[in-house]
Amino acid sequence: MSGPVVEFKAATKRFGATVAVDTATLDIRSGEVLAVLGENGAGKSTLMKMLYGIHPPSEGHILIDGKPSAVQGPADAMRNGIGMVFQHFSQFPALSVRDNLLLAWPKTPFWTGRRNAGIAPALATLAELAPHIDPDVRVADLSVGEQQLVELSKVLNISARIVIFDEPTSVLTPAEAHNLHGFIRRLADDGMAVILITHKLADVTACADRIAVMRRGAIVDVSASGEKPISSIVSLMMGKEIKRTLTAPKPIKQRVEQLFLNNVCAKAPGMELRNISLRIAKGEVLGIAGVAGNGQSLLADVIAGLHPITSGDVVLEGQSIARRDVRQTLATPLGYIPEQPRENAVVEDMTLLRNLNLRALAAGSRVDDEALDLLSRFNVNPPEPGRLAGSLSGGNLQKLVSARELGTPRSGVLACYPTMGLDLAAIEMVYQELFAQAEAGAAVIWISEDLDDLMLAAHRIAILREGEVVAVKDNDGTLSRDEIGALMTGLRIDEVAA
Amino acid sequence: MDAELFAILAAWSVATLRSATPLIFATLGETLTQRVGVINLGIEGEMLMGACVGFAVGVATNNPWLGLMAGAFAGALLSLVYAFLVLVTHANQIGSGLAVWMIALGTTSYFGRALVGQQVTPLPNLGSDWMDDIPFLGVLFDQMTMAVPLAIAAVLFAAWWLANTRPGMQWRAVGESAVVAAENGIRPRLVRLHAIVVGGLLAGFGGAILSVDYTQTWAQEMTKGRGLIAVGLVIVARWKPILVLPICLVFGLAEVATLRVQSAGFAVSPHLLAAVPYLVVLLILIVSHIMPRRDTGMPADLKSVFA
Ligand SMILES: Nc1ncnc2c1ncn2[C@@H]1O[C@H](COP(=O)(O)OP(=O)(O)OP(=O)(O)O)[C@@H](O)[C@H]1O
Ligand SMILES: [Mg+2]
Repeated sequence: MSGPVVEFKAATKRFGATVAVDTATLDIRSGEVLAVLGENGAGKSTLMKMLYGIHPPSEGHILIDGKPSAVQGPADAMRNGIGMVFQHFSQFPALSVRDNLLLAWPKTPFWTGRRNAGIAPALATLAELAPHIDPDVRVADLSVGEQQLVELSKVLNISARIVIFDEPTSVLTPAEAHNLHGFIRRLADDGMAVILITHKLADVTACADRIAVMRRGAIVDVSASGEKPISSIVSLMMGKEIKRTLTAPKPIKQRVEQLFLNNVCAKAPGMELRNISLRIAKGEVLGIAGVAGNGQSLLADVIAGLHPITSGDVVLEGQSIARRDVRQTLATPLGYIPEQPRENAVVEDMTLLRNLNLRALAAGSRVDDEALDLLSRFNVNPPEPGRLAGSLSGGNLQKLVSARELGTPRSGVLACYPTMGLDLAAIEMVYQELFAQAEAGAAVIWISEDLDDLMLAAHRIAILREGEVVAVKDNDGTLSRDEIGALMTGLRIDEVAA
Repeated sequence: MDAELFAILAAWSVATLRSATPLIFATLGETLTQRVGVINLGIEGEMLMGACVGFAVGVATNNPWLGLMAGAFAGALLSLVYAFLVLVTHANQIGSGLAVWMIALGTTSYFGRALVGQQVTPLPNLGSDWMDDIPFLGVLFDQMTMAVPLAIAAVLFAAWWLANTRPGMQWRAVGESAVVAAENGIRPRLVRLHAIVVGGLLAGFGGAILSVDYTQTWAQEMTKGRGLIAVGLVIVARWKPILVLPICLVFGLAEVATLRVQSAGFAVSPHLLAAVPYLVVLLILIVSHIMPRRDTGMPADLKSVFA
């Protein structure tokens, strides 16, 4: 067997005083999947951005095929057959899927008109991977899962020999993640070197050949998959033993209904919500389950007052909080954790303190500075109120948003995939805070793609399919995964199990 | 009666088209520049430089076509100064634009003095004898030069270019986000350089049309803010090249109307009247922004210019 395709030789990356990656030495081989594990802010993304040419190493160097890497930037990386699927996608939301694919394809011909046969190969991968995505749709109108498929097609289009995935499964449904695992395996079997940055141990057991563990910028362990028990890998990652202890919120004693969705109808390109009615009581956690792209994001936008409704109403404690008109200015009283917080919930070039106080800033009132308490309570790392939000790692940014939205008592909370991209300790913390809100009297809506978590902790689960609530089930311990799966997909139980 | 009506209509149409033509080129140039996320106020200077150099070369060579090309070239050259300030030294876009404008104002005032009162050979008219009998079109073509069809062709070509070619697509992408474009292997600075120079080329050409074809004279500061108006019209046209045409024609029509009102001897202050075309554009801008719309068509990266 030939030597490694990529070697990191004592590579270090500093951002000012922060050492993001600390003398990392690692080799990457063709034909295998290397999983890179580590908690939020461990330096995983930065390590791979060094290879991709975005952040050249401050010290040390990188060898490609045994020769010092000449990669100066992403364009060079692509030319050298390195492709990267970013944690935050590198797409143009305002442009069509077609344009996004063509822009990232080095072989795009000069004429990009519809009739040019030369552009067909750029679209072929997507057609194979996700035949349901219409290439003429704007990327902004796709669900996160669909956007990732577009991102994937882009990387496959450059016929890369080294493919980097930065937390690809954190935004996917279990079924989509399963498909992706198979897909990643096939890439490696075809001889590519695949690097898979992840927090999910399921990803590791499903497709990794080797596992590298990072902690505080350093690579603390590299081992073959299966060589060490998962528990010892987790403890290497965390530096401390972590047990999954999701404690469900207390059952509700007396139902006092507080948040109402009354026959809500709304329309967006490619999606329509029809007659959604839900009542959430004080102290209740209502889970919303569904396959990605069945109206979750539109429903969230409607409840948060971002997207106008065409009829019906959303009422919190007797007051309508729905938007009826795009021109209306409206600040939601809900604690709202949107999906993709980097794009939707923070101002990257403002400090953490200002980001925590966005509502006060918008209202023009005084900004308070209990930021430090909140930052440490929610484990935002580094807890420096004066730092720019854009320099936080993906997971820490998510925690920052949770701190703002769950840090003060609310009467209603809307959480969309609140644990996306978080490590195990952080997931635990966010769930605790979310359920604490309920126990303090909030009505909580929790949109999730993790059925297991929903079934562990939600009081009731509503199932969303094709823009409609097809069922609302009491989570009384008698629910089965298959039953919910059947409702989600519209298939019968025996078909799901098959 | 019919013939008379046709004649009046044709006269107005031709006047509108001719007064709008320099503006169409400038607005188109600025649209393309803004599509890559750059606001170039220097376009006023580039137009002025194009008008001055174009006129000088037209006079010297007795060939209006050479004049127009020299004007375009001068505009492009001046836009390189702007590109250097913005892309290499990372100077503020607004400040750099003003600087370029001032450079043009100074040099053209100085070197232009010799041009005042000179005669330039005009572009030939499009009309020919056999057309004279056709109502409307006969008059129209008789008073029109190649400049008008060229402007229309340039607009159509630019719209098609943006939508159907790889470079056009890259321009749109860089305007949305230079960072994401770089992640996709595009070189945003190179793309911006191209767009700025093309913008300068078009603005210079527009300026030369103003002096060589439309007024056929040179006067100091003769662009009278047309370049700045172009910057505003880009917003009204929602950064879409194809809308540049109708928007500029509305401006041209308003200008022609005020001129006619003036020459008809109405007792209105000429200074007030001169403000009318600008008011019309302002009105369109306001109306188009009141109409509810989420998608403004503004390239996302432009917002950072004002951050
Ligand atoms: N552009 C930047 N400027 C300053 N600091 C940065 C920058 N990018 C990353 N960092 C810092 O470097 C450290 C490592 O960040 P990195 O994004 O690599 O973490 P990660 O392992 O990918 O975490 P996550 O799982 O949360 O995505 C963090 O402390 C982060 O704050
Ligand atoms: Mg990361």
